[in-house]
Amino acid sequence: MSTGGLLLILMCLATGITQAQETPGQRLFAKHCAECHADAVGTPGTQRLGWNRGAAYAVLEKRKDLSAEYIKVIVRRGLIEMPPFRPTEISDLELAQLSAYLAKRPARSR
Amino acid sequence: MSFESISRRQFVGLACSATAAFPSVAPAGLTPSDFAEALEQFRRIVGKEYVYTGEHLLSYVDPYSLVDDAGAHATPAAIAPESAEQVQAILRIANQYRVPLWPISCGKNHGYGGAAPRMPGTVVLDLNRMNRILEVNVESGYALVEPGVSYFDLYRHIQEKGYKLWLDVPDAGWGSVMGNALERGVGYTPYGDHFMMQCGMEVVLPSGEIIRTGMGALPGNNTWQLFKYGYGPYLDGMFSQSNFGVVTKMGIWLMPEPPGYRPYMISFEREEDIEAVVEVLRPLKVNSVIQNAATIRSLVLVASINATKSHYHKGPGPLPDSAARKIMADQDIGMWNFYGALYGPPPVMDTLWTIIRDSFAKIPGARFFTPEQRKHENDVLKHRALTMKGIPRLTEYSLVNWVGGGGHIGFSPVSPIKGTEALKQFRMVRDRLHEHGFDYMSVFAIGWRELHHVVELVFDKTNAEETQRARKVFEILIREAADAGYGEYRTHLAFMDQVARTYSWNQGAAQRLNELLKDALDPNGILAPGKQGIWPKRFREG
Repeated sequence: MSTGGLLLILMCLATGITQAQETPGQRLFAKHCAECHADAVGTPGTQRLGWNRGAAYAVLEKRKDLSAEYIKVIVRRGLIEMPPFRPTEISDLELAQLSAYLAKRPARSR
Repeated sequence: MSFESISRRQFVGLACSATAAFPSVAPAGLTPSDFAEALEQFRRIVGKEYVYTGEHLLSYVDPYSLVDDAGAHATPAAIAPESAEQVQAILRIANQYRVPLWPISCGKNHGYGGAAPRMPGTVVLDLNRMNRILEVNVESGYALVEPGVSYFDLYRHIQEKGYKLWLDVPDAGWGSVMGNALERGVGYTPYGDHFMMQCGMEVVLPSGEIIRTGMGALPGNNTWQLFKYGYGPYLDGMFSQSNFGVVTKMGIWLMPEPPGYRPYMISFEREEDIEAVVEVLRPLKVNSVIQNAATIRSLVLVASINATKSHYHKGPGPLPDSAARKIMADQDIGMWNFYGALYGPPPVMDTLWTIIRDSFAKIPGARFFTPEQRKHENDVLKHRALTMKGIPRLTEYSLVNWVGGGGHIGFSPVSPIKGTEALKQFRMVRDRLHEHGFDYMSVFAIGWRELHHVVELVFDKTNAEETQRARKVFEILIREAADAGYGEYRTHLAFMDQVARTYSWNQGAAQRLNELLKDALDPNGILAPGKQGIWPKRFREG
């Protein structure tokens, strides 16, 4: 398990976060990703993924095929229309939390 | 995990070329050991975790570059200070070692260069961690912000506090409030001219000295964000689109929430209608009947919110006329679409609307809409109903989806608000783009006395031939526009020199003054070499 994944669990325990409450990963998704990738009208990322790959792949939060490793690379390097995000915007720790949230499992260790 | 552990297939089409990664060279004129020493000094100032080298630099790029050489805007390091004091210390070290620095705020200057520097080997000074909203004054309507505060940040802050204030936002809400104003970007409310609404700055000069402009220079003042001019020369303009200082705080005026708001759209059927539309528009704008920074948006720009080109045309070349007609019918839009809004008490809005409606109704085929009358859920008027009241979104980033491949660059000549000029510019740009196989996608943004004709040239950046073609037509557009007396208000890194040369009156006297100022303020040439075509002496001579 990565430091990020471990920290995520410790932070959850320390703050008593349950599944019903917002996790750091969810919060980060809402802040940095949702404007393009939410399951909502007017979100170009969701729209593009739907056009390119079909409805099953359009909404990131519903996908089952994303790995934490893949998300980390795409966030830092961007993907075609999507620009990359710098470490001053999303820190390495936050990226671990975000990718764990979207992958629905903690990132593997580096 | 390392980047190498990802399969090659997954990398196809990634935003930045792998060849751009991790340049190991020191900035021009520095030995590797001097550069290593300078980096060590920077680490002492900001902490070692905030000096980035290696794979973190993959995000310090122009993700939509149309430059062949992937190293043309490569950076060897990035430094992220958290305070103006750290910026001062960094500039002093940069002077000592002559390390060139490229300040960025939120790094979202997309279409103009993103987070990449003009000159390869320039270290990025990433101000995104300086993201404090220092003050929001509800009574007088202003905010004092640091460079890393985005439109989303300021909007959310105002909403959380429940302030009855609107900010003015550009199309993409992730940009920096300060960065956009300094680049002289525009928005869509009555406060749409962002640099005009700027009031009071704190600036670190290349020497490391810190100054405050306007009333900020008076100790104990209480009008820094209220009166722009202070006493003596008005300095603020010198720090916009320039490399004369690092702005670390900036005031921005915010609009009190009006008692009423009514967004509307007027569509027009024919391409040549742009002439009549602009003629109707000028007196309405100059007399403030049209209150906001309204826009006339072209068919393809509006269409891109709901469709890609391939939905209507799969072959090469620009969209055929038959496909344009089909888009008009499908999306219930015009060849041109005017988006404006009314602000104020209902009787005021009623009166203004009567004048606006009657004026535009003279144009045959004009159709009038409120958001409720639009049939598609994802609709530009419904979206602009948000942006014209200062709610930041990313919805119209969909324009990068139009051809696939994501590349886009803004060509932005300025003209009078005159029908003949708008028609001339439209035809000039459309014809050149069509000749080179691109669609015409634009917005005419209405300023107080001028039109910003912002043309989005979208291209498939994964296609080298198409990218090269985009660059070629862009160079032609700049040259032909200048020959006709039109200048760009802003441009991409790759064209900063070319556009600077078009402002050549009296053998380039204005640029010589810029260079005189540059050499006086920054004798070691450390700050943003080449920004807007202004090069410090050591690089001019090199």
